[in-house]
Order: sequence, then C-alpha cells, then structure tokens
Amino acid sequence: MQAKVSRRRLVQAGAALAASTLSSPPILTYAQGETPIKIGMHDPLTGTYAAEGESEVRGANMALAEINAKGGMLGRKVQLVVEDDAANAGLASQKATKMIDQDKVSMLMGSVSSATALAVNQVAHGRGVVYMVTGGHTDPVTGSQCHWTTFRICTTTYMLAAGLAGTLYKKFGGKWYFITPDYAFGHTLQESYAKLLKDLGGTVLGNSLSPLGTTDFSSYLIKAEQSKPDVLINLTDGQDLVNCMKQAAQFGLMKKFPIGGGLSELEVLRALPKEARQGWWTLEWWWDQPNTPHVKEWVAAYQKIHTDGTWPSARTWFGYAGLHSLGLGVAKAKSLEPVKVARALEGLELPDEIKLQPNKVYFRPGDHQLMSSEFPGEDLPDGTYPNLFKVADIVAGDKIALSVKDTGCHLDYKA
Amino acid sequence: MTRAATIAAMWIALIALPWWLPLIGGYTALGSKVLIYAIATMGLNLVLGFTGGLSFGQAAYFGLGGYGAGMTLKYLVPSTPLAILIGTLVGGLAATILGPLVMRRRGIYFAMITIAIGQLFYFVIVRWNEVTGGEDGLAGFGRQDIHLGNVVIPLTDVNFYYLVLLCFTVAVAVMWTLLQSPLGHTWVAIRENRRRLQFLGVRPERYVWASFAIAGFITAFAGTLNALLFNFTSPQDLHWILSGDFVIMIVLGGMRSFFGPLIGVIIFVVAQDYLSSLTDNWMTFIGLIFVLIVLLFPRGVFGIFDRRAKIA
Repeated sequence: MQAKVSRRRLVQAGAALAASTLSSPPILTYAQGETPIKIGMHDPLTGTYAAEGESEVRGANMALAEINAKGGMLGRKVQLVVEDDAANAGLASQKATKMIDQDKVSMLMGSVSSATALAVNQVAHGRGVVYMVTGGHTDPVTGSQCHWTTFRICTTTYMLAAGLAGTLYKKFGGKWYFITPDYAFGHTLQESYAKLLKDLGGTVLGNSLSPLGTTDFSSYLIKAEQSKPDVLINLTDGQDLVNCMKQAAQFGLMKKFPIGGGLSELEVLRALPKEARQGWWTLEWWWDQPNTPHVKEWVAAYQKIHTDGTWPSARTWFGYAGLHSLGLGVAKAKSLEPVKVARALEGLELPDEIKLQPNKVYFRPGDHQLMSSEFPGEDLPDGTYPNLFKVADIVAGDKIALSVKDTGCHLDYKA
Repeated sequence: MTRAATIAAMWIALIALPWWLPLIGGYTALGSKVLIYAIATMGLNLVLGFTGGLSFGQAAYFGLGGYGAGMTLKYLVPSTPLAILIGTLVGGLAATILGPLVMRRRGIYFAMITIAIGQLFYFVIVRWNEVTGGEDGLAGFGRQDIHLGNVVIPLTDVNFYYLVLLCFTVAVAVMWTLLQSPLGHTWVAIRENRRRLQFLGVRPERYVWASFAIAGFITAFAGTLNALLFNFTSPQDLHWILSGDFVIMIVLGGMRSFFGPLIGVIIFVVAQDYLSSLTDNWMTFIGLIFVLIVLLFPRGVFGIFDRRAKIA
C-alpha cells in the first residue's frame, strides 16, 4: 500500500519535473528581459516641505511615462520607487539604504532639504550608486563634499545669489544694505552676496542681524532707510520674511528703493500673503517662457495629467530633468554600471525638450553640477496664481557658477 | 523559566537577524537602527522608568555622542573605537556637568529644564557652522575598519550590525547590574516615594544626578553608533522631536520593564519604516497605534508579558 502510493507520487513528481524543465527556460529568459529597472526617489511628502516634494515627484513621474512610452532604458521598463524622507536626514539615509538593499534600485534621486541631500550623498557613495540630487541647494553637495556618484540638477546657493546680484547691480546700482537672519545659513548667504557685490564694484552700506522670530523690524528698516541704499537685501525666511516685508510696505520703502532676497519658488509665492509677496527674487525655472520651444507643450502636458488647477514649478522641472538625465546617461553609457553612467553624464547636454529654457544646460564634468539658469525677477503682489512673478532675465548657469577649482570639489573616482 | 526562555529566544533572534530579516522584507541597517535606538531608550529609561524623572531632552546627549564620534573621525583620528569612546565621553560628561541643574527639580519642572538644556545644545550645533556643518549636518567622515592585533575587521553592514549587537550586550549588562545593585534599588525607591527616602536620611538628589549622568553616557554611546550607521549626523539628532520620539517608544514598550523600550523601539521604527513606504499619512497611523496601546495596555506592550510571567 505504502509502496504503491510512493510509486504514484514518484511518477507524478517526475512528470512535474519534466514539465517544469520544459516550460521554465523560456519563462526565465522572458523574465530577465522584462525585469524593470528600478530608480529610487526620496523626497519629503509630509511636513513643511511636502508641497515641494510633491512637485518633484510629479515631474519625475512625467519623465517616467515619457521614458517608458519610448521603450524604457536599455529596452527595459523603468519603475520609480518613491519614499517619504520627511525632510529628516536620518530617515533619508535609512530610506536610501532600504531602496538599495531591499528594493534593489539601480540609481537614486531626490531631496528638497540640503541635509537630506548630503546624508544620501554619503550612502550613495558608500554603495557606489549614482545619485541625482534634485533639490538640495547647499554648496558642498557639488563642492567640498562632492563624490563621483553624485550629480545635481538644482543650482548651488552661490549661483542663486550670483544670478540675482548681477541683475540688481545692473538695474539699480551698487550701494546695498542687508538684513540677515542671525543664524549660520543666513551668514553664509550674506557673505556670498557681499563678496559678489565687491567683485561687481559695489559697496555694503550696512548689515543688520535679526534674531530668528523677530516680529518688529522697524529699527532695522529705519537704519536701512537712513543709509539711502540702491538696494535693500532681505535674507529672512518664513514668518520673519512676512513680518519684515509687511513693515517695509507700511513704511513705504518699496517706493524708495527695490528690496531683494534670495531664492523663491512658485510653491512659496502661492503660500505667502500678498503683503510679503514683493520685491526682487530669483527662481530656477518659470512656466511662462513664450519664446522658449517646448515649454508651452510641457505645461499643457502637465495640466492634462494634473487637473487640480496647479502649474508646474521649478521643483516639477527638477524631478522631470532629474529622471530624464539618468535615462540619457544610461542610454549614452549603454550600461547600468555606475562608473560608466557617471562618466556618460559628465558633460552631457540636455536637449531642448528636456531643458525647457534658452541657455545651454549641461553637467559640468569637474563637479557634476548642472549648469542651469537662474530666473531673477520681481514678485507681483497683485497677481493671482500662477501669475505671481515677472521674470526680468534668464542668466546662464555657467556664467555665474564658481569655477570648479573654487568649489573645492575633487571627484574621487577609484583608480 | 518562561522568562528565561523568552530572553534566550530574543538573543538567538538578534544573533541570527542578518539571515532572517531580509527574508521577511527587511534590511540589516534597519536591525542596526533598532538596536541603537534600543540602547538609547533603555538608557533613558533608567531616568524615566526607574528613577521617575521625566527627561524630555535626552536626544541632546544622543546627538552630542554622534557629533563627538563624527568629529573625532573627521578631524582627529581615523579610528572607530576611539570615535565611540570620545563621543560617549562628550555626551556623558555634558549630562554629568548639567546634572546638578536638574537633580533638584521634580515632575513638570524636571521635564522643562531637561528639554531646555536639550534645545540649548541643538542651537549650539546649528549655529556653530564652521565646525559642525550647521543645519546641513556633519558629513565627510566614515567608519574605519577595526584593527585587532593583526586581524583587520572591515565594517561592512553585517559586521557593523554585530558591533552594534556587541555594544547592546555590553550596555544591557551594565544597566542590568546597576539595577540589581543598591544604587538601582535606591532609584526605584526615589520613584516610589522620594520623601520617605529623605526621612530615612538619604539624599535623593545625588542619586538622581547619578541616574541622569549614567543615562547620558549610555544615550551618547548609542548616539556614536547612530552617526557611524550612515556616516552622517545632523542637528535633527539633538532636536526635542527625537527626545519626544524616545519617550513615545518607551511608553509603547513599557517603562516599568527592563526590555520594554526594546519592544517599543521595534514597534515604532518598524512601523515608521513600513508604513511610510505605503502611505503619506503614516504619521496618523503611528499616532493611532500609540493611542491604542496607551488605552489598551497602560503599562506598555511589555506589561502583558510581565503579568503573564507572574501568573505562570
């Protein structure tokens, strides 16, 4: 009885084995050809920077659809794995590790906060994975802490300052007064502005340091007014910015001299109250470029997908250009091997339909920084979304970036 | 017997973790993070659960340990053991020096002064840009291979996990010994009835100070490992939000039990890792888990095990 059963089992097992050897080889080859290439993206989807993070993910998804419609990368479908980093550096490192170890992503991209960009920069370099920084602006990413694995789409903090400073100097003159938030980032920004101004031939009339959380800016504004500046540079941020700009408007300073700041974004402009939406700022991309090819079509394509009444911002473009750059790099390298992809990305120029801006846009070989443009201009307090900004100039990135030598970057390819 | 069996099973699971964790969809670094946070919270629990002091600024010592280790590797010597030692000393000594400020406070005032001191260190780190990297965090250092005589141990992910496990074992042994000693019993006595202890001629302040200082050393020890985990540390590692997370983890697991914080950390870190990959609203679910556990298990998850163990 027992023997009978086991013999029948044996026959069944043998048949199953034969069937499996017959059927499995084709399945295997098919599966290998169709394994999607995974790309890991970390961005803040919760917390203060959620709006910016969401825009970057939307842009990346647009690029993803376009890449897959054209047959993917190396003939394989591309899949985007998105993780929330909550703008927390520890969580970003953890998620980057997770995506590499567990999800087996081939490349990484993302970031809004600079700290998360620097943290993932370490993880990606440690594992030899190419990392495309989309939105962390701090200089060391493509400067003192640059790695061969890391590339960056958004401009550096220095480029932000340089793009606006040149425009303001040309338009209004060289005697500037500063109001600087009294913490590290503010000091760094003020120092780069002061250096830029000196190089242009201007003078710093004065610098008021305002502690974080200042509600009454009148003493600083009176001092600024007495110095009769050509330009008042206000580097405050968040609620301090709202308070400072409100009081500047009450004092009627806006009519006396232009007030400028640093980086602004469509997401920020939309959230700011009217009183604070004034003065001169710089963006890194703008949806309204009537003379640039493909921009109108791209905005239309965005709005066909997202019918919530939003407009694409610089962040959307970061995500879009970030994923497309990785795709172009892989196509040029004809390989997923990180060193080959990194070498292929060096010097790579973005085509018109991806760069969506007039100047030449390419990854500088020495520091892996994308030479994209600054869009300095003026806020429109009476404008309605999305007409909140008037671009005055589009400044080519390679005209304002620090030279590779001055960034302090030494790429650390293994010999 | 059951208790011994549970603890033996826990150690076996921890030693075998690099094998089974990837099978259920985890990764080794997650295991390291759980153990690092477990060291930190069990250290904090000496003050919180055993001495009864509501310390809400413990992340400061965690972060100081991390910066101490990172800066040692970056500016002083490329040696992992030395980085861990110096980081632990920096964080621990900060807690020891500031102990006298907190030891006389009780209840809400203890909580307020610890949180204030914690934020003080946070702002020092954020503003001391040239040395600490400010808001961007400290990078540009890496954990170094360990040299034992002629043997070189490369700190790969798995080896680093075992280093963390070794540190966890040492920390557990130290804390367990302390809690069995007269010092540990005095802490519990302070928690239960501080005034009676004073009538008996004991000065509770000294023991609160000892508790706070030792907790500082142990949290800083965990902080050094945290900086080495991803070779990065940021001011967020000192922020009161992380201090709050530590307290939540302890309450989740059970602040009256020795291994309670470990359970709390597992629930918190794994839920955070898993849920945040599934939904943007993961914080809501973590909040929900916390509320449910506080309502259903007022003594924390470990409280159930404790009760069952006593019945058996």
